[in-house]
Amino acid sequence: MIELINLTKRYGRVLAVDHLNLKVEKGELFGFIGPNGAGKTTTLRMMAGILGATEGSISIAGIDIAKYPERAKGMIGFIPDRPFLYEKLTGMEFLRFIGDLYGVTEEDSHARAEELLQRFSLYNWEDHLIESYSHGMKQRLIIASALLHDPEIIIVDEPMVGLDPAGIRMVKNIFRDLANNGVVIFMSTHTLAIAEDLCDRIGIIHKGRMIALGATGDLKGTACLIDGDLEEVFLRLTEKGEGAL
Amino acid sequence: MKEIITLLIPRYLSFKNGSLSLNGKNRRLRLLLFATLILLFWAGVFIVFRRILIYFSGIDEFGNILAHKLLSMVITTFFALLTFSGIVASLSKLYLSRDLGLVHSLPVRSGGIFMARWIESTIDSSWMTLFFSIPVFLSYGMVYKAGPFYYLTAALMMVSLCLTASAVSVFLVLISAFILPAGKIRSLFVFLGLIFVVALIVAFRLMRPERLVNPESFTSLLLYLKEMGTAGSPFVPATWAFDSLSSALADLKTEAFFHLSLCWSFTGALYFIVNWTAKLFYFSGYTNAQTASAWPLTHTMGVSVGSRQFSGMVGRPAKGLAAKEVRTFFRDQTQWSQLFLIAALIVIYLYNFSVLPVDQAKVGTVYLQNIFSFLNMGLAAFVLTAIAARFVYPAVSCEGNAFWIIRAAPVTLKKFLWVKFFLYYVPLLFLTELLVVSSNILLQVKPFMMVLSIVTIFFMTPGIIAMGIGLGAAYPDFNSENPSQAVTSFGGFLFMLVSAGFIALVIILEAGPVYQFFMAEIQGRRLSNLQTAWSIVSFVIVSLICTLAVILPMRFGERQL
Repeated sequence: MIELINLTKRYGRVLAVDHLNLKVEKGELFGFIGPNGAGKTTTLRMMAGILGATEGSISIAGIDIAKYPERAKGMIGFIPDRPFLYEKLTGMEFLRFIGDLYGVTEEDSHARAEELLQRFSLYNWEDHLIESYSHGMKQRLIIASALLHDPEIIIVDEPMVGLDPAGIRMVKNIFRDLANNGVVIFMSTHTLAIAEDLCDRIGIIHKGRMIALGATGDLKGTACLIDGDLEEVFLRLTEKGEGAL
Repeated sequence: MKEIITLLIPRYLSFKNGSLSLNGKNRRLRLLLFATLILLFWAGVFIVFRRILIYFSGIDEFGNILAHKLLSMVITTFFALLTFSGIVASLSKLYLSRDLGLVHSLPVRSGGIFMARWIESTIDSSWMTLFFSIPVFLSYGMVYKAGPFYYLTAALMMVSLCLTASAVSVFLVLISAFILPAGKIRSLFVFLGLIFVVALIVAFRLMRPERLVNPESFTSLLLYLKEMGTAGSPFVPATWAFDSLSSALADLKTEAFFHLSLCWSFTGALYFIVNWTAKLFYFSGYTNAQTASAWPLTHTMGVSVGSRQFSGMVGRPAKGLAAKEVRTFFRDQTQWSQLFLIAALIVIYLYNFSVLPVDQAKVGTVYLQNIFSFLNMGLAAFVLTAIAARFVYPAVSCEGNAFWIIRAAPVTLKKFLWVKFFLYYVPLLFLTELLVVSSNILLQVKPFMMVLSIVTIFFMTPGIIAMGIGLGAAYPDFNSENPSQAVTSFGGFLFMLVSAGFIALVIILEAGPVYQFFMAEIQGRRLSNLQTAWSIVSFVIVSLICTLAVILPMRFGERQL
């Protein structure tokens, strides 16, 4: 469903992502973790078509995002780490706007927007300008907008930032349900407990390179640990972690 | 004092490091172009003033009065500009800046924060006026052969004028922010815009500047001289500033010193009044400003254009982008004050044409009317450029941090830019045609000139809009707190420069054929074959340039974005 082949990104002399190779299958909930500045957000932004790659390619359901960006982006729902939105639109107007951009029909767009606003507890705020929303409400609105066009792939950067415990549980359940229905969730997070709890496979990126990949059990093997949780695995691998897969 | 300096350090470091973030070659190139443009403008101001003053000094009797009247008008204009930009800058610095949350969380006195912000807004709102006042005062000094005392007085007077204007603006902002209900601080922009426009129109109408160039409209020379020599109000700081400078110009040291003392004592008094007002009102006003208005919108503003017919015509994404654009534009109250300014500009523009003394000219009225009409095309296009610099050029930057939504959506940047193009093209074409047609009606021009003006503007407008969108996309600033100020950036300058070049080129290319046509008509003969061929070639080149002016900037913007 998602395939990264030799994906590389340079910012001047800085190598942010270094020949990354990865395949994520349909219905998989993939966790992408790494220290600050490891290249997670850059990778996600390239996958969402926001950034161009310096080298390598990204295939979204068999479509090369560099060659057919609109077709590929139409299959993706992207949730960034910071909720920057059009502050002068209302919640409902924003969702209808996203519906227009993604070609959702008028009827479907309205019905789906209402359903999502209710699901994310924003229905009573649908006619308020986004500028009056709290951080958590904006984050929920972004997640709702990413689901509006029923994407086959969801790329999400730090989904739980700003959400209250009920919100976190709700989002976790939604992601699990979506994955069970065949949607790919590609999630970057620093909350290792969530990654461990939720993800089928986890990739650890360090200095732009993938240093470990697999289920939590596999990662323990890579880190030569018998006991311990993902946090210990992560710390062990990123402390020594120069070698790439 | 130390805390104020500490609070100002981030601004200094951001300025220093901001230029470091560009790569070396680009930075040098930009700086060079920027400096050249500014110096050219500076030199232009100096040359124009010097010429005017030399001309005035050649007029017996009232040449001196004219020069002093001009100086008085210049200082009053500087004071008005300083006050208005002071209000905008202090409103933003004291109540709307993004870093205020962080600054107010620090263990620093509210008074210290206020003072640091006041210093920043004074510098921001004054440096440009200060810089461009130098060639004006320099030209006076050179023409009147003034000594060092004049230059010292000019420097002290301008600094005092800047500080006074800034203190007056901050005082008004402090009181307004305290009085306005929570979440309504941005409405102040609308209110101020309205006040400014009304004041501008009223002042312009009362001044009737056209009378000053036409002494015959006064019943006697005495009345005319009286009108010219009328002193300003003794209660306005600009009058004291003018009095100090004109005394220094005449080398009347005691008078100059007296008026300068008036300026500085008022500045000093204001400093204490503003500080005392800030102690009382600043923090509660700031708290008010942090509360966003939480009323639901009961109506959809503008684009229920979202009808099926519209989306069927342009496609869903284009319709969505258009609806979003119109809604965000009209809900942003900071834009409204700009709209008021445009309204004022149009009123003054048309008023100027209505009072042009074409019938009193010694050359043929028809000839003059049509010359004015021809030049009017260029003038209207320059007005369009000024409006485009304020609205069209920042259109891409206005997406701000939410631009990721467009990048992540299955919409091409080409479509995104073209939607922006058409949204601005339609109203601005209407506006520019309205200007040209109304002024031509006022001038009572021939049908040929009317058609030529309408057609030329029709073809030039897309080029100017495309340059605004294209260069705005090539040099976007998504992090700016006020994208409409992007016009003062490198890209903004480039846009105005390229647009002015484009207008000049079109006007020059059309001037030859139009002149031939008129001469032929006045002399009652037909155009020769050579003249006809020349006209055709000129108009073909104009159409080609207009087409390229649309295609090239849009492509450039798309590629750079």
